[in-house]
Amino acid sequence: MPVVKLNNEYLARLTRCDIKTIRDNLPMMGSEVEREEEEQTDVQYFPNRPDLYSAEGTARALRGYLGIEKGLVEYTVKPSGISFHVDEGLKNIRPYLGSAVIRNVNMDNAMIESLMGLQESLHWAVGRGRKKVAIGVHELDKVEGPFTYLAAEKSTSFVPLDYDREMNMDEILAEHPKGRAYAKIVQDFDKYPLIVDSKGRVCSFPPIINGELTRVTENTHNILLDVTGIEPRAVSVAVNILCTAFVEMGASVETVTIDGVEGPTLAPSKRRVSAAECTKLTGIPMTAAEMAALLEKMRFGCQVIDEDKVVVSIPCYRADIMHDCDIYEDAAIAYGYDKIAAELPPGFTIGKPHPVQALYSEVRAAMTGQGYLENTPFTLTSEDVAYTKMNRPANPKALHVLHPISEDQTIIRTDILPMLMESLALNRSRELPQRIFACGDVVESLTTYPKMAGAVIHTGADFSEIYAAVDSFCMMMSIPYEVKESDDPAFIEGRRGTIVSGGKAIGVFGEISPAVLNAFGLEQPTAAFEIDLRDFVKY
Amino acid sequence: MELTINEKRVIAALAELDSCSDAILAEKLNASPETVVQWAHLCADKGLLTIEKDVTLSARLTDEGKRYAEGGGLPERQVLSKLQAAADSLFLKDLSHDSLAKIAIGWLRKKNWISIQDGKVIVNNEEAQAPGPDEEALKNPVPGTIGCAILVKRGLAVIEEHVSWTISITPDGQALAGAGLNLQEETGTLTRDQIISGEWKSLNLRKYDVTKLPKRIYAGRIHPNQQILDEIRSLLFEMGFTEFYGSIVQNSFWNFDALYQPQDHPAREMQDTFHLAEELPLPDGWEKIREIHQTGGDTGSTGWGGDWSQDISRKCVLRTHSTSLSIQHLANNPNPPLKAFSISRVYRRETIDPTHLPEFEQLEGIVMDEGLHFGHLLGFFKEFFGHMGFEEVRFRPGYFPYTEPSVEPEVWVDGLGWVELGGAGIFRPEVTKPWEIKCPVLAWGLGVSRVSMLRMGLKDLRQLNKSDIDWIRNSPVRRV
Repeated sequence: MPVVKLNNEYLARLTRCDIKTIRDNLPMMGSEVEREEEEQTDVQYFPNRPDLYSAEGTARALRGYLGIEKGLVEYTVKPSGISFHVDEGLKNIRPYLGSAVIRNVNMDNAMIESLMGLQESLHWAVGRGRKKVAIGVHELDKVEGPFTYLAAEKSTSFVPLDYDREMNMDEILAEHPKGRAYAKIVQDFDKYPLIVDSKGRVCSFPPIINGELTRVTENTHNILLDVTGIEPRAVSVAVNILCTAFVEMGASVETVTIDGVEGPTLAPSKRRVSAAECTKLTGIPMTAAEMAALLEKMRFGCQVIDEDKVVVSIPCYRADIMHDCDIYEDAAIAYGYDKIAAELPPGFTIGKPHPVQALYSEVRAAMTGQGYLENTPFTLTSEDVAYTKMNRPANPKALHVLHPISEDQTIIRTDILPMLMESLALNRSRELPQRIFACGDVVESLTTYPKMAGAVIHTGADFSEIYAAVDSFCMMMSIPYEVKESDDPAFIEGRRGTIVSGGKAIGVFGEISPAVLNAFGLEQPTAAFEIDLRDFVKY
Repeated sequence: MELTINEKRVIAALAELDSCSDAILAEKLNASPETVVQWAHLCADKGLLTIEKDVTLSARLTDEGKRYAEGGGLPERQVLSKLQAAADSLFLKDLSHDSLAKIAIGWLRKKNWISIQDGKVIVNNEEAQAPGPDEEALKNPVPGTIGCAILVKRGLAVIEEHVSWTISITPDGQALAGAGLNLQEETGTLTRDQIISGEWKSLNLRKYDVTKLPKRIYAGRIHPNQQILDEIRSLLFEMGFTEFYGSIVQNSFWNFDALYQPQDHPAREMQDTFHLAEELPLPDGWEKIREIHQTGGDTGSTGWGGDWSQDISRKCVLRTHSTSLSIQHLANNPNPPLKAFSISRVYRRETIDPTHLPEFEQLEGIVMDEGLHFGHLLGFFKEFFGHMGFEEVRFRPGYFPYTEPSVEPEVWVDGLGWVELGGAGIFRPEVTKPWEIKCPVLAWGLGVSRVSMLRMGLKDLRQLNKSDIDWIRNSPVRRV
């Protein structure tokens, strides 16, 4: 989740409130104050509220929440007269474009930092790492419309931001830090996206890098915004969030015509919602007027229709309102979660354990009664531990994770005994005897099923001890069994048995082979057993 | 003062003798010297006796030494006698057939009794051939003499250490003996015969030192963390919740799509989730989910927009949350009322460190009934956390793609402040509508390892799954 750095002085100025009140209220608005510093406050926001990822957006929300202002912020946009053409060749590459002109920009350092932070957070949260949406901000006075967004030959060259020489687009992908970071988004296409002005001067190579020509500085007063992407709604949300943040800075927004369509309008969308439905969902008793008052705190525009219905104007920057319930949640946040009357769910039900969990409880009773200590090892393991060290062939039904994070966790366990051997190795320096067991899920192919295993280590650990443990366990668990000779290479030949129940091999026990003991670094005789429990539980 | 019968016998004997050696005491008490010394030491610890250790050394000839002592002296002396008896000087090679001579030649030359010229052995001046200290010692080895040291070096004698003890009674011991000692035989463990015959009535039962700690027995025990999980399970059974359970492997449909997580959601990417190469088929009705993602379908939602891929949806992952089981449990049980929970391992692609594990237990619960609202969710938490020992609970807005409203409950922990324990909310219509679920569903997920850490005061999460056996052994069942 994005952490946004907010300049205290700037945020307080925009909110018209002291920083302490702001910090106290942010958590109850749905964010988390990560760090408080003299100059800045680091705030973590949820991914559904990209409109808050700047001092400007946060201040706008806070002014409503704290009662300094209320209701919808109305935006007026004038036409800039500037137009764009989007080339058909981008259809399968990066077809969607949003744009706007921002005038009367007077940015100080705090504003420039806020804008850069907003751009970065939007790239992450809305843009999915620039793939879905990428943003470019340009000094408008350096270029001249109409502009063209086209699929360009890779050989096209221009001077990218932070460089002093022309590079072609492939060179940029290979050499420029931003090129290397984002090359994978475009590198497989025949042509690359490019924005040029009427004279063919390059503004931007979306989603990679802008041209040095249109670099924004403290002296920039007029801005051209470009937002490109592969999903039109996300592109439009990003445009709206950026434009309305500029308005908070004191700038004005003008429309751009893209292939005859003028935008952005920054106009709210509307939903007709019901106070009764809101009460039903949140448990907060309220009239339409009361709901409207709460929603105005959250910067919605409200028009009360009757006792129940309210037509809500949803600010253009709110990307998260997909359903009426999203509006009702905002009413509940405005009301205050801590003020909501907490009641117990009234329905009567009778609880009961799941048969597999009940079985595990029985296994624990049977084994702890024998003096064994329970272990709860990981289910992620490696072929090395599960098979190689166990002197067993790899199980072809083991599931391999595609991108393991370490070589210790490449598969999901198919047996539990190797984990017990690891545990004995970990506890090598502890007093003997040690008697341990574990029960839990294993996975073969795509099937999850229950198993248990036990192990003993001490100078006298032997076949007869573990046979007696198996016998006691099976008696306690009502598992009828007989024993046949086993060929499991994890155990010593002639001192190992297969546990057979209902004509099916369900387990193995015996003295662990010294080869296995050596592999795990164990130095004392060890005996162990493992039993597949799936036939003893129905669900 | 509590004395064992044997200690009393030692005191009684010494009260008579005043002082004696361990051998005499052993004879008197009819026990081995080692045993009486042990008893005497116990008495000495109590100030009743003093014990002095006497060490004496003696030298003893080895078998080889004895052979020489009895057979005419050291090898060089025996061979010298033969040489002197011989008429003429002998050749060295002739001597080498004699096994004694082999040993003797070196010593003869070393002692300068003979010399060798052109392979011939010549006996030197007789004056130098007087018996040396080693030969004296062969007759009577005395530790500490040069001769004896030579024999030890030649392996013909060994020095032996003899330890003996002088045991003397102290005035305290005398006083105790003077006051009278009960010398009746003591009984340790009772026998069956003694119990049933009534003999026990006249026995002198040994009294034990009750302040001495026994060797600790480590009881078999369920894992301390499992114990906390079982407490939580019991609490939920009491609150009317039924437990559910399911597969570790889920396709993306149940893990993400059915929970209205957009297919390009960052949590679905490979840096956060363990993906598998396997696929599982989509269930009947999957088209509704596609529709909801794309346009909202008939749920009144706008949906996420964009594309939705069946291929992505079929791909399997290790479940990242047990909400994947909750939604399937609901789809199979769509009629109210329903209260259900599960404690299941879930998987996140995290590197192991003290505060992160790639797999951990998640507690997941759902309540479905007519007329339920957000206030009931908060009420449930207050009740539940109260029983868990967290008196103060507060609720912060939260965000999850599948719930609205969403909440993050926090509990107050002294020393830590507000601690977030999980997330909760009411399932969105986009989640419940496809499965004909008509009532509101309260849903919550809690990281129970965090609860365990707080309850057990653990600093390192790894202790839960890679446990020190001594920690398990020494974890009390009852926590105070």
